[in-house]
Amino acid sequence: MLLYIVKRVIAAIPLIFGLLTITFFIIRMAPGDPASLYLQGNVDPGIADRVRRNFGLDDPLPVQYVKWLKAMATGEFGVSFSKHRPVVDILADAIPNTLILTTLALFLNIALGVLIGTLSAVTRGSWVDNITTVLALFVYSIPEFWLALMLILGVSLHLDLLPAAQMHSPNADQLPAFAYILDLAKHLVLPVFVLGFASAAATGRYMRGSLLDVIKQDYIRTARAKGLPEWKVVGKHAMRNAMIPVITIVGLSLPFLLGGAVVVEAVFDWPGMGNVLLEAIFSRDYPVVIALTAVSGFMVVLGNLLADILYAVVDPRIRLE
Amino acid sequence: MFTRYSTLLLLFSLLLSSCGKKSGSKSEDPRPGTAVVAIMGDVDNFNPVVSAELIASQVNDAIFPQMFDVKFATGEGRLVYGPMLVKSWEFLNGQKDIRLDLRGDVYWEDGVRVTAEDIKFSYGLYGNPEVSSPRQNYVRNMIWTNGKFDVDKSIEIINDSTLIFHFDHTYPTQLFHLNLPPIPKHIFQNADLRTLDSNPANARPLSAGPFRLEKWIRQQEIILARNPKCNLPYPAKLQRVILRVISEPVTRLTELKKGTIDMMWPINPEDVQDLQLNYPSIRIETMPPRVYEYVGWANIDFKAWNESGRKVVKPHPLFGNKRVRQALTYGINRQEIIDGFLGGYGQLATSDISPIFRWAYNFDLKPYPYNPEKARNLLAMAGWTDTDGDGILDHNGRKFEFTLRYNAGNARRAYAANIIQDNLKKLGIIVKIEAVEGVVFYEKIARKEYDAFLAGFSVGLAIDPSDRWGSDIRNPMNHAGFMNTRVDELIRYGQNVKSYLEAAPFWKELQAILHEEQPFTFLYWIEEIVGINNRLQNTKVGILGAMNEMWNWTIGSPQGSVVY
Repeated sequence: MLLYIVKRVIAAIPLIFGLLTITFFIIRMAPGDPASLYLQGNVDPGIADRVRRNFGLDDPLPVQYVKWLKAMATGEFGVSFSKHRPVVDILADAIPNTLILTTLALFLNIALGVLIGTLSAVTRGSWVDNITTVLALFVYSIPEFWLALMLILGVSLHLDLLPAAQMHSPNADQLPAFAYILDLAKHLVLPVFVLGFASAAATGRYMRGSLLDVIKQDYIRTARAKGLPEWKVVGKHAMRNAMIPVITIVGLSLPFLLGGAVVVEAVFDWPGMGNVLLEAIFSRDYPVVIALTAVSGFMVVLGNLLADILYAVVDPRIRLE
Repeated sequence: MFTRYSTLLLLFSLLLSSCGKKSGSKSEDPRPGTAVVAIMGDVDNFNPVVSAELIASQVNDAIFPQMFDVKFATGEGRLVYGPMLVKSWEFLNGQKDIRLDLRGDVYWEDGVRVTAEDIKFSYGLYGNPEVSSPRQNYVRNMIWTNGKFDVDKSIEIINDSTLIFHFDHTYPTQLFHLNLPPIPKHIFQNADLRTLDSNPANARPLSAGPFRLEKWIRQQEIILARNPKCNLPYPAKLQRVILRVISEPVTRLTELKKGTIDMMWPINPEDVQDLQLNYPSIRIETMPPRVYEYVGWANIDFKAWNESGRKVVKPHPLFGNKRVRQALTYGINRQEIIDGFLGGYGQLATSDISPIFRWAYNFDLKPYPYNPEKARNLLAMAGWTDTDGDGILDHNGRKFEFTLRYNAGNARRAYAANIIQDNLKKLGIIVKIEAVEGVVFYEKIARKEYDAFLAGFSVGLAIDPSDRWGSDIRNPMNHAGFMNTRVDELIRYGQNVKSYLEAAPFWKELQAILHEEQPFTFLYWIEEIVGINNRLQNTKVGILGAMNEMWNWTIGSPQGSVVY
């Protein structure tokens, strides 16, 4: 198993490297000037040229690429053009904020998805199944930003139940520890809900289909025949096998949760990777964009790997070699 | 199993009950002594030498020692200077030199005195090309040797508290150029100049102003705390001012309505009525017009100019003729855009000198009225008529059609573009509209690749037409490729007089020329709208910004968080 993981990780290195190279060229060849902030009235036009030179953008593209390769080889992500600080520091600030958001959302996704999928499957054809099917389709079709804005207007503004933006209330740094965490929890509710809810609808559909397949199997009939209570039949025997496709989905949605967080983070002003990426793209902050691509690429690889490992955990017949 | 559920339930109910608390206790101020301001983007740098964002300079003004107490005299329409770090000043040598006497009792947070050395050191940085300061222009009229700013010849230190600035000529805005905040020499004297913008000391600025930086959580909030040792002018009256970075406009407005923040701008004119009717705890204030929008026309043939390596200068086939540009201005119903989008917060523009500068503004110029008939006549005089009867004007076989570009996501410009398209269609001019991503848009304008575009400009507090007019087409800010030798002269005259009033006739003539030539179609001046919760008092929203004199802010009686 360990050997398998090591092999997979090594195989991923050229993949991520290729991805970064493509990103390197695409972003540099895209129109837009990282020094555009300095192109304004009252600022000497020569300043923008100098800033470009400081960024190393006056070299020909191949030279820039070789320099960048050298830096990458030493694990050097460079300094952000717009934030004037090491890219690593920017990531170190943003990653925990995003992870807390997406991990909780993923958890909500699985818990809610498995729950409604199972409910829907065991009551197949009944009104409960029909209603959840329609609702799931409806929720899945709602654009995230719209759902987020509606929740801000409804839950935050009109009902005044939850905060609308950011991670903490003003002056939260002066609160005692417990109140501080509670304050954070309140800020998490809406973004986690938006991120997790729509994907839960999809997960639920997969869970339902998969569970229905499994329930038809002979060993389920056997389980019922030996007199096991229904919750044990479904919960213990059927669920375990039905989870396999769900695990695939969850593994693959790991990077999507980071990607999806761009919209949700922007609407809720959550200070995470999505917001950093958005700002970096708009200001043509090349080092930050490259670093974020590296992280996303890594997440894709990790998600796939995790899904494969989980198969083996759930299904003892699958062995990783 | 049950205990697990009940724990979850308990947590959930705890969460909900604590959510309700805020609206329940309306008499209790949720954040005593603290004001919260929403800002659109984070401050880029707490070092005034290298910061490039507008918001940074507003915040740095409250942290760093200010040279002068600058106010805007609305009646006269100009900046007036009072003593601050500079106790008194005297013009010498026919006004070419200025002697500054500093207060001797101003200290940085760490107890080191603010002296003339700090000022000379800082100006050395502002003017050093290696530093790439966006404010390098401030030293352009001081003494330069061999094409380099000569700080030793420009600034002469008499003693700790006295220094003399030398200029190469006199001009009306000399004091304006002496108003750059100094940074502490003892902190930065060994700093690497090329990486000054990423120097770690920038994130821990030493204050000598009314506020100090207590905490900076990047991309989230900037916590400014009262600097109790400040005597410049005095410590802030509030304990804390928290600047929260909220970039999404709907979210920002929601936070204002909820009472979670105390101040935000800009507010869309269409939201004002809702705020006034339904949220009595919020007051609306405006900043006098410093921002204008315009349609930029390529006065010269940009394509030919770019393709010839910036050599060939010939009139643009469509917009190179003054009559055509005048016709376009007559043919665009600018008032309709104002009425439809800006409401009472916009006024027609005649040129790019703001009416706030009352002494320099040319009140004799009347904005071009919407007059399609006159537009048609002018176009016909320029040779543009519909000869083939297809409803589109043509001239020498060329049809009058062009693409009007603006930066994507700007609702006001999208609205204006549609009205312009509609208006000009009635004249027989086909306008295609294209929204371009912001960074690309501004880059292409600077490179003169767009023949027609909708953009805006925020004017400085000292009149300086040289930044965008004048005949230098290579200047990236000369967006229209406008050339006029009389304008060159006027700028030179206006910048070589001793007092601002002497410059007035030159600036008025400059406006008359711009009005006549219409290098742009100047659309309107915009008043920015600021929303403030009534708990925040003694604000001084004005030309100098919404956060002007933040140290005088106080908190009044707390208001309920939500009012319907």
